[in-house]
Amino acid sequence: MIRFESIISRIVILHVIAVAITSVLMSLALSWLLSVATNNIHNEAMEEQAVSLAEHLVLEPDGQLSLHLPPNLQGLYSQPYGRYSYAVVDAAGKTLFSSLQNRAPVFAVDPRASTVQFLDTHIGGAAISGASIRRIIGGKTLWVQAAEDLANNDVLIDDIVDDFYRHVGWITLPILFLLLVIDIAIFRRALWPLRQASETAQHITPARTDIRLPLQEIPSEVRPLVSAINKALDRLDEGFRLQREFTADAAHELRTPLSILRTRVETLDDPGVAKALHQDIEAMSRVVGQLLDIAELEAFAIDPAEVADLQAAAAEVAGFVAPLALEQGREIALLGATAPVLVKGNAEMIKRAIRNLAENAIRHTPKDTVVEFVVEENGKVAVQDRGPGISDEERDLIFRRFWRRNRNQQGSSGLGLSIVQRIAELHGATIEVENRVMGGAQFSLQFIPVPPYPKA
Amino acid sequence: MRLLVIEDNALLSELLAKGLRTAGYEVDLLATASEAQAVLMTTTYAAIILDLGLPDGDGLAILRELRHRKDSTPVLVLTARGGLQDRVSGLRSGADDYMVKPFALEELVARLEAQLRRPGQQLGNSLHIANLEFDLRGRQALIDNQPQVLSSRETEVLELLMRSKGRVVSKKQVEDHIFGLSGDVASNAIEVYVHRLRKQLSDRGAKVTIHTIRGVGYLIAEEKRDPV
Repeated sequence: MIRFESIISRIVILHVIAVAITSVLMSLALSWLLSVATNNIHNEAMEEQAVSLAEHLVLEPDGQLSLHLPPNLQGLYSQPYGRYSYAVVDAAGKTLFSSLQNRAPVFAVDPRASTVQFLDTHIGGAAISGASIRRIIGGKTLWVQAAEDLANNDVLIDDIVDDFYRHVGWITLPILFLLLVIDIAIFRRALWPLRQASETAQHITPARTDIRLPLQEIPSEVRPLVSAINKALDRLDEGFRLQREFTADAAHELRTPLSILRTRVETLDDPGVAKALHQDIEAMSRVVGQLLDIAELEAFAIDPAEVADLQAAAAEVAGFVAPLALEQGREIALLGATAPVLVKGNAEMIKRAIRNLAENAIRHTPKDTVVEFVVEENGKVAVQDRGPGISDEERDLIFRRFWRRNRNQQGSSGLGLSIVQRIAELHGATIEVENRVMGGAQFSLQFIPVPPYPKA
Repeated sequence: MRLLVIEDNALLSELLAKGLRTAGYEVDLLATASEAQAVLMTTTYAAIILDLGLPDGDGLAILRELRHRKDSTPVLVLTARGGLQDRVSGLRSGADDYMVKPFALEELVARLEAQLRRPGQQLGNSLHIANLEFDLRGRQALIDNQPQVLSSRETEVLELLMRSKGRVVSKKQVEDHIFGLSGDVASNAIEVYVHRLRKQLSDRGAKVTIHTIRGVGYLIAEEKRDPV
């Protein structure tokens, strides 16, 4: 069964049904009204004929009645013409005068009938319709009957009715159809503000909870719904605000005790224990930092007009991670573009992504190898290591939160790559993971280049 | 040299004070924004360590007021909020440096010293890495306390690297530092100076390494001895 989901389609289908029923009913009503009207005209004409016939009945001095029709009336009732007929019948049912061949009455006489009667009968195959009036002449009750053969060619009224249907009646359908089209246009116009409102609603995301649906043009019937939605959005917004505040509070509550712990450890007397504890605190601080990064990224929106220099971002990250890498016996190198490479996005976020890739690479590359950053003019940055590479099975797993190849590995939270992925999503960037020919992994981020640099 | 620490967490401020006193500073502790504002109206410190999350107001307000009075005392901001916006607004309000909790006390002291050594600030004696010392007043390098004679270019490069201890100095920064705006720099001039400096230092027994980070810059660090 076809379901009509949209208001417009529901209106159209209901309207089509209504139009069909209306056009049928209208035709029936029109034809009934027409036939009533023609019937009345016919009856009046017949009554008038009967009256005029009665005027020509004369009471002779001998007490007999005679009918002297003028020649024009004689022609009207002549047999060859056959359209009209008359009869004068007395109370006993005896026909006194008749235009019919067998001098028969046109209609059977009913003595109890009122002064005027409209009657139908059949003579031979013809449908005869006429009037019968009662007259009292010379103390005698008489019925004067006048009738018309409806099948006669000269009867025009039926033809008018037929003609009406053939030439005029069809106009109701297109008029109803036009009305349907106009109604659809009206409804579309009336629903336009709703469509606008739904388009506005499309833009609501966790990062954009400040959007509200416009109320100005919304029809008053729908306004309660729209304002209820806006109120629901207010509550959601409040929820998100609390969530963001929670993130800030959590940051404070976690980082301050970690600071205390770290400072205490730094003043410990046993340098061996201090060093071990220090590493633990470092690892924990990193996880806390990354969790807070993720929380921040959930509600982060990038200004579409923002432009960042990918080369400068990569250089800054390379400089930032270099001391740490050198301390661990790994080297850092920045290759590729030396001039600014402009891409769409937020520089701070791009740095975070590259930094997470770099920290991963430093962790996985063996001692005395180089972690290379390569920036390409088309808006791509790659971070390469000489580690074990990424197996096919791991390709999807590595971006999962908290996934680690080796769960006991120090300093890894399994959050780094999911942060990278989220930042890439926000920037419309693509992540590529490859294994290098001479061993090792390459993670690259292709950002959207900003002209005049050629598209990738 | 007297420092002011504005931090509402009593435990952390005690530990900070302890660490800073060990590093040779005198320390005053305050826990609220209103106290801090009152004290700063009358007292001048060598540097201020300011926590942003104070119970009676935002630490940034103190900073803004200080800068409004044209007070250029170095301010090192501490915060648990590591978010992008916080960082930007902190630096815009006039913070000289910004550290996200948890921080290493050692790094805090190092960054504080970097601020105090800026031109016009109070700390101005010498910088040390392993057995290498750089006397900032005399602009002279010493290895095992023996003054060394280096060319003026080598001295300038060494000073810049040692002032940025623990951080990478970009090639551009070295160029700007040595040549200023005088323009034409031979493309490999910096490499040549760094190479010479490296050779001079190792020939004279300095236990430091000048690392080249390709495409980025240079970093001076204590020489790493592989455990034998």
